[in-house]
Amino acid sequence: MGNCIQTSHLTKRYGKVLAVDDLTLEVQTGEVMGLLGLNGAGKSTTLYMLAGLVGPTSGDATIFGKELHRHFLSIAPSMGVLVERPAFYDYLTARDNLKLSARLAQRDVTVDRALDRVGLLSAGRKKVGTFSTGMRQRLGLAQALLLEPSLLILDEPTSGLDPEATHDMLALLRQLADEAQVTILVSSHMLHEVGQLCDRVAIIHEGRLISCDRTDALLSYDERRVEVLLDAPESAAKRLAGLPWIESVEIRPGRLDVVLREDNVHQLTAFLVTAGYRLTGVIPRQRTLQDYFLKALNR
Amino acid sequence: MIGRIWHTYCFEVEKAARRKFTYLGLILVVLAVASALLVRPVARDGESDYAFIAYATPIALNLLGLLLLVTYCSGLVSTELGSGSICLVLVRPVRRHEFLIAKMLLGVTYAATLTVAVTAATWGIALAFGDLTGVVYGGETVFTGADVFVAYLLGALLVMIPQAAVVAYAVMISTLVRSTGAAIGGAVGLLLAVDIIKYPLRISPFIFSTYLETPWRVFTSYCDGLDASWFPDTAYLLLTSIASIVVFMAVAIFSLSRRDLRT
Repeated sequence: MGNCIQTSHLTKRYGKVLAVDDLTLEVQTGEVMGLLGLNGAGKSTTLYMLAGLVGPTSGDATIFGKELHRHFLSIAPSMGVLVERPAFYDYLTARDNLKLSARLAQRDVTVDRALDRVGLLSAGRKKVGTFSTGMRQRLGLAQALLLEPSLLILDEPTSGLDPEATHDMLALLRQLADEAQVTILVSSHMLHEVGQLCDRVAIIHEGRLISCDRTDALLSYDERRVEVLLDAPESAAKRLAGLPWIESVEIRPGRLDVVLREDNVHQLTAFLVTAGYRLTGVIPRQRTLQDYFLKALNR
Repeated sequence: MIGRIWHTYCFEVEKAARRKFTYLGLILVVLAVASALLVRPVARDGESDYAFIAYATPIALNLLGLLLLVTYCSGLVSTELGSGSICLVLVRPVRRHEFLIAKMLLGVTYAATLTVAVTAATWGIALAFGDLTGVVYGGETVFTGADVFVAYLLGALLVMIPQAAVVAYAVMISTLVRSTGAAIGGAVGLLLAVDIIKYPLRISPFIFSTYLETPWRVFTSYCDGLDASWFPDTAYLLLTSIASIVVFMAVAIFSLSRRDLRT
């Protein structure tokens, strides 16, 4: 499977501030790639550059194998973009906003399908000025999906959505990637959403790409971290704390969170049983995106 | 490129047709024409009422119309920059300069609509309540009704050129400022300031706004029973207006091409 997006030494400078620094990134066709980073890390600027809304200071980006700046007009109809806090013409209805947007692309499309996908079909004849933040966000996604794009660039797509709408949007995006092979590049602050949606995760810090890995590998079980359910956690913690093969022990209600120096859970279990504790469970802990994120940032 | 500009222009016209301000401008210029009756009343007394048209047209078009045109056009881009709705357009296959040209065409369309409204209102009122039987001097018809009307129509067509320069000027200011209020204030203020200083500084022949009255001079002379020539003033009008349009649009395109569209 080829690359849908490829950036090469992409750089954006605002005066003395380096917003994106020498970013080289590849997103494969049909892949969902998440961009993570702190506020001001350069995620949105990267997405805006790929959407053609911000020009890079240097470097270039290739989309569908075509150089973005030179071939923007042929790339744009196949690309759906949702910017952060999407703006619409408030004096027009949701349907009219979408109709006019499709007209700009010189495409005859059914706006009802896009509205239905985001759950706004019944509000289609209402003026956008009356919409809540969440409705505007959903309309933004409808606008991005309007031309049935093969690439979606989404900046904070779940911002302002309630939990149900967030769930529906993530499910829709996953469905688009799985069934229609739509490539999705998404930025978000919501680590669990990124973990749920994305095939790969890239971390940007101070404009630089510092890490990029497959999500399933990142979220795998960590054999060195276990939750131990037992009858007397305080006393057990004291006995474990001094052992050379234990890295750390934290007491939680009714359990211990133990980090081992090596993959030696059997040694831990044997030690506790021999010491007379009544074990009810030893559960390997799954790695979280937060662990990965903080580790990548050296926090 | 022409197809994309056309589609973007149609998009802009459809949007403009849904906005109340578009119609407010038309109503205001018609009211300005009607209010000119207080100063130059018309009557069915056998005497032509071209004086009313000659008085009402510059008031409605060059004074109020100019203000409305600058206000309308200086909000065209700044409103979209301020709200971020410009992104809705520019993520589609539309180049930034094509977007600006479409905005410019919308402004020219608005100017043309104001001119048509003023023409219809002035001639409609004069025809309905007065007489328009040609210009008579000493019992002799100096200009027929058709002569005067053609002079007015040519004036109305010619005034589109300095009006297009006004549109380009306002669109340029609109791309330089993100806030709509500041864009409107800046555009109107700067235009007034230049109009005040252009005569003392003797730069008026080079300023496009000087020629907004020029297209009506032949018509006004005809109304007074005097013959008049379109030249050389029309040549100056064309030169300064076209040069201004080119400069203003170049600055606007340069400014928007470098603008960061993140809100």
